[in-house]
Amino acid sequence: MNKYEAVIILNPNLSTKVDSFLKEFTSLLSDNSFNIIKTEDVGRRQLAYSINNHNKGHYLLFNIEGDPSKLIDIENKIKYNESIIRHLFVSVKEHDGDESYLFAESKSKKKDTDEDSDDQTSQTEEQVVIENTDNDSVEGNEVEDNAEKEQEEEVKDE
Amino acid sequence: MSKYDLPKKFDYKDVNTLKQFITETGKIIPARVTGVSASNQRKLTKNIKIARFLALIPYTDMHK
Repeated sequence: MNKYEAVIILNPNLSTKVDSFLKEFTSLLSDNSFNIIKTEDVGRRQLAYSINNHNKGHYLLFNIEGDPSKLIDIENKIKYNESIIRHLFVSVKEHDGDESYLFAESKSKKKDTDEDSDDQTSQTEEQVVIENTDNDSVEGNEVEDNAEKEQEEEVKDE
Repeated sequence: MSKYDLPKKFDYKDVNTLKQFITETGKIIPARVTGVSASNQRKLTKNIKIARFLALIPYTDMHK
């Protein structure tokens, strides 16, 4: 059993299909008796240079452990997957327990990019929308509550 | 040495640390300039090259 870190950069146009890819990939790993220790979905990120005319990429990080001979099989299958624009397996002595810097960065960016329309990924947009609706509903409830209280007060006055 | 933030362990995902050791044009700065130890410079170089492959930092400023 060797320990590896896997980095996969997906086609940014397929960002919405990440979940299905994750399922596919995890089943591929488990078929080859690989254990997944940690998965990090970094999300869409600006590439330092364009790869296959893509300027952004959807980064996925995995901490995995398994047999070196099986890793070749996995890599051979990944190689011809057109939704992957780049992949890398790095062998490591010990897995890092903490969050990776990329993941932490993407998290903090998601909070910041609420106002930035350019860099917003589809994911963050969805999250923002959900948050907004939550806020609205909460506010709406408060307004209704207030209205009810006022009505009650009016009744009392009468 | 003290003017650089050297982590305990170099990581190709830690872009901000690696960026301290490349020039504006993307070249790796030699250890004789930065004063990084030979051992650290080897680790640094390895991680910079991985980060370049993963498009986290540029190879050059001439990318189209």
